[in-house]
Amino acid sequence: MRKLLSLLLAVTMLVSLMGAAFAEEMTEVGTPRRETLIMETQIPTDTPGQFNPYMQGTSMGFGNHQLLRAMMWEMDTVKGEQFGEIADGFPESNADFTEHIVKIRQGIKWSDGVDLTAKDVVFTMNMIKDTPGIGASAYYNVVFKSIEQVDDYTVKIVTNEPFPRLALRFGVTIWGNDLRVVPEHIYSKVEDVTTFKDSEPVVAGPYTVKSYDPLGNWVLYERREDWQYSSVGVVTGKMPQAKYVLVKALGDDSTRQMMMTSNQVDIMVEVTPEVLETMKAQNPNIAAWYSDFPYATSDDPCSKGISFMMAKAPYNNRDFRWAISFALNFDETTMDIFDGVGRASPIPILTATSAMQELYLKPLKEYMASLEIDLGDGTTAKAYDMDYAKRIGDKLRAEGRDIPTDEAALEDMFGIACYAYNPEAAEKLLIKAGLEKKDGKWYFEGEPFKINMSYLANTEAQAGRGLISAYNQLKQFGLDCNLVSESSATWDSNAALGNYEIGGYWPTGGITKDLYSVINGYDADLIVPVGERGSGQACRWNNARATEIIHELAKISPDDPKSYELGMEFMKIAIDDIPFIGFHSGVKFVPTNSTYWTNYPSAENPYNGPWWWWSCFKYILTEITPAAK
Amino acid sequence: MKFRKYFGLRLVTWALTILIGVTFIFFIPRMFPTDPVENMIGQIQSRSGQMDPQEMAALRKSLRVQFGLEGSLWEQYLAYLWRGLLHFDFGPSLVSFPTPAGEIIATYLPYTLFLSLISTLLAWIIGNAIGLLAGFRKNKRSSKILEGIAICIYPVPYFLVALILQIVFAYLLGWFPLQSNINAMGGTAAYLRSLFRASFLPALSQLLVGTGWWIISMKSLSAATAEEDFVQYARFRGLAERRIGASYVMRNSILTQITALAMSLGGAFNGAIMTEIIFSYPGVGALIQKAILQSDYNMILGCITISIVAISTATLIADLIYPFIDPRIRYS
Repeated sequence: MRKLLSLLLAVTMLVSLMGAAFAEEMTEVGTPRRETLIMETQIPTDTPGQFNPYMQGTSMGFGNHQLLRAMMWEMDTVKGEQFGEIADGFPESNADFTEHIVKIRQGIKWSDGVDLTAKDVVFTMNMIKDTPGIGASAYYNVVFKSIEQVDDYTVKIVTNEPFPRLALRFGVTIWGNDLRVVPEHIYSKVEDVTTFKDSEPVVAGPYTVKSYDPLGNWVLYERREDWQYSSVGVVTGKMPQAKYVLVKALGDDSTRQMMMTSNQVDIMVEVTPEVLETMKAQNPNIAAWYSDFPYATSDDPCSKGISFMMAKAPYNNRDFRWAISFALNFDETTMDIFDGVGRASPIPILTATSAMQELYLKPLKEYMASLEIDLGDGTTAKAYDMDYAKRIGDKLRAEGRDIPTDEAALEDMFGIACYAYNPEAAEKLLIKAGLEKKDGKWYFEGEPFKINMSYLANTEAQAGRGLISAYNQLKQFGLDCNLVSESSATWDSNAALGNYEIGGYWPTGGITKDLYSVINGYDADLIVPVGERGSGQACRWNNARATEIIHELAKISPDDPKSYELGMEFMKIAIDDIPFIGFHSGVKFVPTNSTYWTNYPSAENPYNGPWWWWSCFKYILTEITPAAK
Repeated sequence: MKFRKYFGLRLVTWALTILIGVTFIFFIPRMFPTDPVENMIGQIQSRSGQMDPQEMAALRKSLRVQFGLEGSLWEQYLAYLWRGLLHFDFGPSLVSFPTPAGEIIATYLPYTLFLSLISTLLAWIIGNAIGLLAGFRKNKRSSKILEGIAICIYPVPYFLVALILQIVFAYLLGWFPLQSNINAMGGTAAYLRSLFRASFLPALSQLLVGTGWWIISMKSLSAATAEEDFVQYARFRGLAERRIGASYVMRNSILTQITALAMSLGGAFNGAIMTEIIFSYPGVGALIQKAILQSDYNMILGCITISIVAISTATLIADLIYPFIDPRIRYS
């Protein structure tokens, strides 16, 4: 009897073990793990089951615009060029840019099998225009006179004023765009589009909603069976590899790390370098843009640095701003921020992404190298330090980091230059700007001078660390400073009202050759007094020629060669007048886990940027492939 | 007659407490140097980069009207008293507009109550039982050990306990999920199973720390009561120690604990922010934190109003039931 029992027990154990060996690993939502790509979204949603892009409160970054939606024009983030997604090419405009013909790509079907046609585009744009409850409605009424269907695949758009940048404004240039075409055959039957949740959305993107957490922590998306007719299928002919994409909020930092190191998530949004190194040490399958130092990509189009409130004295004085620049040692700043990681972005307003570096910064190199600032005592000082890339490369190499020696690679990694460090020049310029130094302390208009500095708390580590570094250096230089961290709500209100002196804001951007969308907020006509809410011009930079250029650019096509010339002229003015001191371009440590999925975009395979939270993610999904078992 | 007078007075105090509380909570967020409209514009801008100046002006105007921030402060206050306080209609969440704040709170409140009420009640029962033993029999070795454990646990911040439990039982041992994932769409059995798994560690972290406090407070109360003349007299009369502990020491020590329990139960409506954040537990605490950071006035008002009403009501109920627990107290 005992033998029989032992045999039964052994057989049971064997069967259990075999079962476990052959059982497929499943996710918490009941899908096979090897068919499910799990990606992070930063915060849970308070509106679970709400997928209508035109109902406020819909969390678009929860996979909605990355997986479900097709845009009129999408972005090739590597080239910095748009391409038609729903639109078949770019608009054909008349001579004065008031009439535009937009062709619609044929072959795209909604996920319920209905063809996507011009009718859907015309309906969506008119719905926005005619529905005051939609945020963009008022703007659509300002811009558009009419939007009409010419035939099944042609739309005619008439604008109230010349509008040469239809694709740039109503297509994706960075994160996404508010124009998301919806199915006319569904939305036209909805009584009030601003309260229609659209819990089972019919979409043109390659995925549909499979299920969602009613408590708002996750959404499970499933690849369309007819993915060939989705926008991605029609544009690329490629199938997104993951059958399921689970988008979920991971919680606090420690939980995020534990989930990543235990392979419960494949791609995260952003971490600090310290967190990345800790995770890499625990799990060798975790990587970022570079597999080793410097890890991060420097191609996020929002450079970080310090922003001046130029409606107040002495911040409105160019000499003062140059003095601050000379007082800061960028070698110290870069080590304080991310231990030397990051491409310097040493011009105001424009970010030194790879594309912008080639288009604008390298052509401006000579101008920057020769720029000298008048110190007011008959002497001048070089504005830029052109040896930064080599110097920081040598320093990091000496610390044991694997840094290339090739000049082009160094420039790509660390930038073409940084602002020069020259405390002596800084002192002279402060005096030129009207400050006085008595007994080691600075005075302005007879009063002790103190700079109030602020940064956004608990997020945007790059911006925060940069401002803290600047604070320490300015204090060390001898300027009295006060440092404040602010919650996002206070931060945004203070920006709108101009309630700051030096802030770690990032009024920068740019990924396309045409700079109009990046610079039009610097129009001096938009300046309102401090304490009033303006539209653009939070920093209140008043430069007459820069404003003229913006007005000129508004009237010409982005394809006109003059557009580039004016953009270059604008940048020279900005460089000279220094409304913003750029530290680095947006440096992003975006971790991936190759346990279940591989071929993420990386420095070795830069087919796209690591922008999971942008609408272009659906195109990245065609390249991410399952890892070998 | 005495009861009616007592009840009437307590009711007035209750109503005044609520009115003063909600008045503060209405005006304080409006004194923040923040603006929900600018916050939303900031969020949109930070996502999509530069916004056309004309578009920004149009959007700002549209949002102010939609958020109901156009009227005077006084008009907004009166409207809030009528809608919010009397009808519990807090208006739309400004961040998740137009979804009503009440609807969002109603989604999360049951989970907060489930977690907090269970852990508070268990901690109260266990803590008071141990505290009574430790105080009543303070010279026994077991009492000293129990008190020592309580003294060690109590000062540890509850979020640290939560973190340790998460690392040990969820990350290293894998017995529980790292995050609270409640399966609300898979049927009752799956729902209850996932609710238990999701709530166990958060509840345990609150229970451990909460128990420590109840042990310490009850120990002090019961030790003091045990020295009273009437307890000594009971001993001289030869009553059993168990009876002395239950009928003499516990009944006289428990009054303060009941008031504190009432406050704790009322406070359960606030949620436990850090526990909720660490375990991604769906609760009101994290909702309040997010609402404050995003200047979601209506959500702040909704959450705090419920909390104020709950705490005031719990205290009122405790006051009313005192005489049933302690016959020495009369409605006077």
